[in-house]
Amino acid sequence: MSSLREVGQSHLTRRGKERESQRAGQRRNGVSGVLYQHRWDYFFILPKFLLFAAFVLIPVLWAFLLSFQEVRPFGSVWVGLDNFQRAWHDPLLVTALTNTIKYTIITVPASLILALVLATLVHPLGARPQSFFRGAFYLPRVTSIVVIAMVWRWIYQPRYGLLNYFLGLFGVAGPDWLGNANFALWALILMLILTPPGLGVILYLSAMNAIPEELYEAARIDGANAWRQWYKITLPLLKPTTLYLIILDTIGAFQAFAQIEMMTKGGPGNATTTLVYLIYQTAFRDFDFGLASAQAILLFAIIFLVAFFQYRFLTSNVQY
Amino acid sequence: MFRSKHRILMLLVATFIFIGLVCSGYGSQPAAAKEKNKDWTGTITLWYGPEAWNYKGSNDRFGWIKAKLAEFQEKNPGVTVELVQVAWAEMNQKLAIAVSGGGWPDVAAVGGSQGSVNLQLVKQGVLEPLNSFFTKEELADVFPAALQAYSYQGKLYGVPSSVVVYAMMLNLDLFKERGVKPPKDGLWTYTDFVKAAQRLTFDRNGDGKPDVYGFSTYVMPGYYEAWPFLYMDGGRPLSEDGTEYTFNSQAAIFGLQKLADLKFKYKVAPPEMGSADVAGTFQAFANPQQRTVAMEPWASWAIGSLQNRPEYKMHFAVAGYPVGNTGSPVALMGAKGWLVLAQRDKAKLRKVVELVKYLASPEEQLVWAQQAGNFPSRRSVLSKHPFANNPQMEQAQAMLEKATPLPQHLNWGKIDDRIQREIQLVLSGQKSPQQALEDAGKSVEPFVGSK
Repeated sequence: MSSLREVGQSHLTRRGKERESQRAGQRRNGVSGVLYQHRWDYFFILPKFLLFAAFVLIPVLWAFLLSFQEVRPFGSVWVGLDNFQRAWHDPLLVTALTNTIKYTIITVPASLILALVLATLVHPLGARPQSFFRGAFYLPRVTSIVVIAMVWRWIYQPRYGLLNYFLGLFGVAGPDWLGNANFALWALILMLILTPPGLGVILYLSAMNAIPEELYEAARIDGANAWRQWYKITLPLLKPTTLYLIILDTIGAFQAFAQIEMMTKGGPGNATTTLVYLIYQTAFRDFDFGLASAQAILLFAIIFLVAFFQYRFLTSNVQY
Repeated sequence: MFRSKHRILMLLVATFIFIGLVCSGYGSQPAAAKEKNKDWTGTITLWYGPEAWNYKGSNDRFGWIKAKLAEFQEKNPGVTVELVQVAWAEMNQKLAIAVSGGGWPDVAAVGGSQGSVNLQLVKQGVLEPLNSFFTKEELADVFPAALQAYSYQGKLYGVPSSVVVYAMMLNLDLFKERGVKPPKDGLWTYTDFVKAAQRLTFDRNGDGKPDVYGFSTYVMPGYYEAWPFLYMDGGRPLSEDGTEYTFNSQAAIFGLQKLADLKFKYKVAPPEMGSADVAGTFQAFANPQQRTVAMEPWASWAIGSLQNRPEYKMHFAVAGYPVGNTGSPVALMGAKGWLVLAQRDKAKLRKVVELVKYLASPEEQLVWAQQAGNFPSRRSVLSKHPFANNPQMEQAQAMLEKATPLPQHLNWGKIDDRIQREIQLVLSGQKSPQQALEDAGKSVEPFVGSK
């Protein structure tokens, strides 16, 4: 009894302290008040924020500053918008942008549809099979892209590759997939599409599992078949997940680099040169860090705009 | 009374100061002069790529450099050399990152494929000019082409340690199997070369498709194994003064056509020629599990690899590229070497240069020549006939004497990239040589003039 009272008193004391803290916060002005009121919350997120600032925020701001300079180790020179003009008038930027857009508008919907189909097929299975398939589909995501690229290089090898071997069984002579400018980008696209979209499957499965069963019961009572249930209930309620995946995959596709560096080095010609590969070449082959930063800022602006419009037009108001 | 005591005390203090100064060496040498003569001590950072040979039978790809650095440290107490192992293909990229971050190494090696000093580093001001560290006799001993590869506007920006020449490697087992004789003295015409390649292209497993091809190579920015074909009829990428693009000449177009014909007209090259990477191309020639190509052009480091590395040892010969319409054999060359990056401390700079001179010394060049199949950059080393018992290297040496250095240009990275990508399109059958070399001319135009 006495211990209960002690607990009650300590609880009251804590609540009292919290209220006191809130009142102290309110006495201070706006931002500083909020900071004071949530000082312990901020204290605990500070280490993460410091890491974020050191490795993301400051480098991004630094790149922004570099884009207005001709970068030299012994004193950079301020050149205003020169780097942006050079970037804009570079014909390679148009090629790289075209390749990147082609890559993005094909791989993003394809990966999304594949993830949705796989999640739909796995969802009716029990908890154990679901866990198994979650792990199986997620495995390629934890595998290094270098390993995946090496395997696909072999698959696409014109003489000994698996793909041309299978085509040969049907009497079709396959081309040099990575060595022909007409096929190289498509080969990279195919590689990405056929690599299981692990994250998509996991997120879709989680979202499907969260949809209330009553909705399906009501639909069944109304005579809806499985297809109508999926089309009229599952699909709309997956809209927030779909939006999240679209934005995430779009950013990923715009930033495609490792597979290109490993498999084609942007060639043949510039058939697989993407924006990030162009930035890499500008910085580390030409030592032109100002121009590379300007190209990176342009890429950032493009991704930002695309993500903004995706968010604007695909945001769901569906609640359940 | 008090004043006299004070005087005595002052006298004692002055005496102690005098004795102290005498004992501390006052008057023997100024402190600054003493500091100047004192040897610098500290840490030197050195970036270096893997060696293509086994130093003293070791399997360590960094065996030679580790041994030499240990020797240098022993001779220079207080000096530590930190070796940073960098893949050759990543050396430029890592240097660029280091330069942009202001944290570059003290010394960096330049690989044979790059073949010369990167003039962008000179432009950035991060390389030390080294003329003052070499005597006239030392500089006169270096082959002019090697010296040229590390010079810009009259200043020396690196120390060439060896010379690399591009030559054709022939798998003599396949030649014997097909009853083909290698060219006498390593010289052949394009017609003879094609005839040999045709006989060396054959179906081994009877499926109706060739398994072994006569010839192959690869085309990538920064690599020049295919380029002598464009040179063989007199084509050159840039004018002598480097201000004009000249690969759109008929000579260069004919040369590129000859290379493309090997794949599309004579069908003596595999479908992946032009798109395969460096390692894949070398493995197809040298790996005992493959050996599906009879002739491949390589920089001369490959001679050392094929002779010394157990996994690649093979019966092979060295020949020249086919002789074109000029009637003279054509060969390209580059130079490996060392760069000394900008130093604030002049005493450290002297020690760093001492290290580089030690690593590029005639004695070490002789070791590299005899054991790794590297051509020395100094005449005095070659005069010791390091290849007396090495017919492959002797053959390559004969080509070296007439070899042309790779072009030097401030924007060479961009120019090279655009030309190589157009050549790739020719070898993938998507552009004619004329179209490709003219398109390359248009895209390099903004960079060529600004030498």
